[in-house]
Amino acid sequence: MMKTLLDIIVKLGSVDRRVIFLIIALVVFLPLIFPVGLTIKPTDTTRRSFEAVDELKEGDNFLMSFEYGPSTKPEVNPMAVAVLNHAFRKNLRVYITCLWPDGQFMAQDVLAEVLPDYDKVYGEDYVLLGYRPGNEAVVKGIESNIKGLYTVDYANTLIDEIPMMQDVNSLSDIDMVFSFSAGYPGTVEWVQYGCDPAGVKLSTGVASIQVNEILPYENAGQVLGIIAGMPGAAEYETMIGKKGFGTSGMDAQSVAHLVIVLFIVLGNATYFIERKRSQKTY
Amino acid sequence: MLKRQIPLAIVFLTGMATLFGWFVDNVVFETFVNDTATQWFDIIASFAMILGSLNLLRVQGEKVLRRKRNWIYSIFAIGGFFFSITVGFLFRGANYVEISDLGPNQGAISEVIASAENIDPKIAAVTLSLVEENEVFEVSRIFITESGAKQLVDDLNANGAKAEFKSKTWGGHILEKGTLFNWMFVYLFTPLSATMFALLAFFVASASYRAFRIRNFEATLLLISGIIIMVGRVPLGSLISPWFVLYLIVLGGGIVSNSYFKDVKRTFQITTGGILVVTIAGFIAGWSPDSIYFLSFPVLQEWIYSVPNIAGSRAIMIGIALGMVGTSLRIILGIEKSFLGE
Amino acid sequence: MTGMEIFGAWIAVFLTLAIFSFLYKDNPFYKIAEHLFVGISAGYWAAIAFWNQIQPNLFGRLWPKVDGELSGLKAFWYGIYNFFGWFHSGIFPEGGIDKGHEIDIWYLIPFVLGMFMILRLWPKFGWLARWSMAYIVGLAAGLRLYGFLSSNIISQIKGSALPMFDSVGTSINSILIIIGTLTGLFYFFFSQEHTGIFGKISRVGIWFLMISFGASFGFAVMGRISLLIGRFYDLITYSSAEYFHASWWVLGLIIIGLGIMAFKEKASPESH
Repeated sequence: MMKTLLDIIVKLGSVDRRVIFLIIALVVFLPLIFPVGLTIKPTDTTRRSFEAVDELKEGDNFLMSFEYGPSTKPEVNPMAVAVLNHAFRKNLRVYITCLWPDGQFMAQDVLAEVLPDYDKVYGEDYVLLGYRPGNEAVVKGIESNIKGLYTVDYANTLIDEIPMMQDVNSLSDIDMVFSFSAGYPGTVEWVQYGCDPAGVKLSTGVASIQVNEILPYENAGQVLGIIAGMPGAAEYETMIGKKGFGTSGMDAQSVAHLVIVLFIVLGNATYFIERKRSQKTY
Repeated sequence: MLKRQIPLAIVFLTGMATLFGWFVDNVVFETFVNDTATQWFDIIASFAMILGSLNLLRVQGEKVLRRKRNWIYSIFAIGGFFFSITVGFLFRGANYVEISDLGPNQGAISEVIASAENIDPKIAAVTLSLVEENEVFEVSRIFITESGAKQLVDDLNANGAKAEFKSKTWGGHILEKGTLFNWMFVYLFTPLSATMFALLAFFVASASYRAFRIRNFEATLLLISGIIIMVGRVPLGSLISPWFVLYLIVLGGGIVSNSYFKDVKRTFQITTGGILVVTIAGFIAGWSPDSIYFLSFPVLQEWIYSVPNIAGSRAIMIGIALGMVGTSLRIILGIEKSFLGE
Repeated sequence: MTGMEIFGAWIAVFLTLAIFSFLYKDNPFYKIAEHLFVGISAGYWAAIAFWNQIQPNLFGRLWPKVDGELSGLKAFWYGIYNFFGWFHSGIFPEGGIDKGHEIDIWYLIPFVLGMFMILRLWPKFGWLARWSMAYIVGLAAGLRLYGFLSSNIISQIKGSALPMFDSVGTSINSILIIIGTLTGLFYFFFSQEHTGIFGKISRVGIWFLMISFGASFGFAVMGRISLLIGRFYDLITYSSAEYFHASWWVLGLIIIGLGIMAFKEKASPESH
């Protein structure tokens, strides 16, 4: 009986990888069709991010920077929607910049999703400054002279004609920066060339792949909290009490993670059984 | 001299100027370094992007002309390139309608606008009611073709309004939603880009199953840390009872003792004893998760994330930074010349 | 829902499923999608770079909008502009480029360096691109040197100075972080052989690094699954009646296509 069980495990270990692909496809697809609605508990880093934004006062200048594209949109976009909701609820003055060209389209999508629920006026409550190429040079430009870098906004309106740009000349006129980042340039550049030199508060939401890179900055106090990937977005949505795309993906995320852990366990079980059998042979 | 010394001199001058820009307190110098020099950097970087695109065209074109392997597919690459260049530089596809006078028949106008924008006529009527006298109203729908916009102009003028056909400015057309460039971004670029990345999910799962092996202690640490993060970060992790984790620890202990003592009887005794102790403790505590909450996946995950993981990440960060500082100095001083192709 | 949106949805579904078809095996659908991605991306990035930087910030500073009559050198300068405008009045609109800049002839330097960059395509003049590269590399090196030194070394060392005489838990955690950081750094010291006490310290460092890599792996898995959820979400959206069940039809067509290819491959003489 034991031998039969071990034989089955060994056979499973050499299954065609396309079977694994099919299983992954099913475990991600099915929970999207039949959601369960698992409870989401915020982690400490998301909580710190939330509190950093929550501590701002009405009328404070809040810069949101979009440095992600369609390839990481499912992870980062939901957190941008949640944070923008939070910012609008607190009546912050929102300035939107983009270090990635795709970031501008992402910003427009987020604005289109959030604006209908609020009575905000462009140029007075929020402004989309848009994308400028140059990576860290752009962050340096914003840090020293925003108006030198952004002579027009995304719609080619002259910057001097936008009311909320009147008293904003450099990064030190901004009360807090929130970077939505998926790589280079992103949060790292904001830390090194923007917020550290200017002494401005910075928080961030990043794609999962970048979390470990940003963690030392968070621990050293250079970044106030991290929203980590889609689970982080779901946690932020829970904290602001507005469920969105992040929450809807959590069931599929949970099941997929569990299945991958089972794959690892099964794969190693096969490895040990085969190793023991080959040792017995010699 | 032209191919070597001058580039090295440029690197030295720009590098030193940028470096001193952080320390020198002179307005002219600071303005040059922080504004002008960085603007120039942005502009040259943009030319580098254009170079990349043209080079791609050259490589794919060569494949087609020389009938290299799989040259047929290069036709798609070239076709895609010319489509995006056409949409970016030659065909704006960003036509819209401006109404300078709504006329006397606002009800009919709101119906026409509602039909064009695919919204409820009541919403269109409310929007139009907020338009002040002499204020120009822009219909939000963007038409890719001129004929579509002109048709709307005719419909509005036929109902008494004064409408005009217009096009978004060149440059603005790539950033506005609804233009042909935006259509390309949403329906071509986005699915291609996103799906390429999403494909990796399958390969990660396959690698986890077929390649991720506990061959030594370090690999075990990597695996356990990865599993705890994966399970602890998702909502499912908080549903798993810490008592289950305690049983896993006992089983893990059994495996470790077997590898040390290599005695099946002793392993069985240790494992069974552990399971018994945990079961008795569980009954006494009423299987309450709060009594050993520190063994729950979210708490374990939080500790790994914020203690040993930070230590390792910080060591990596400082190590890389030291290397970066060294390399940057070598580049500025002309010791490192790899960017010249040497 | 406009016709273009529905047409776009069908194309998006085809491209998505074509790329996923690679999971079965490499096939023409995947190769077509892959090459389209390469071509479209190249044109996309070129358009973005040009309209966001070169036209407004470079040309907008070399030929800003002017009013009134021009004479002398300015007339000659804008004569060149008008010549360019004959080719593309969108890039060079009549009267100059209105982006709020003043004329700044020093911007001829990045213009020339930018043209040198493009000359990389011609082997005879490609060496001129070294001057442009030198500027970019020099500026980036100067920026990075200070940036990394300040934020990644000094601030991180400051951040490692953690409270060691707080509560028991905090103190133990702080000591662990300090030990882990130091031993991890010891591991990266490759000019010293990792033997003896140094070797043992490095070994401890490796353990902390492995835990960090494991966490990175966990986050990587998390990220990839999230992206897959995003794609499936779009496919579910496009499977609705609004889009004429695009996902199902395209899936069926691709499966049939792959089936025919597999059948032909089996039946072909080369396969035996």
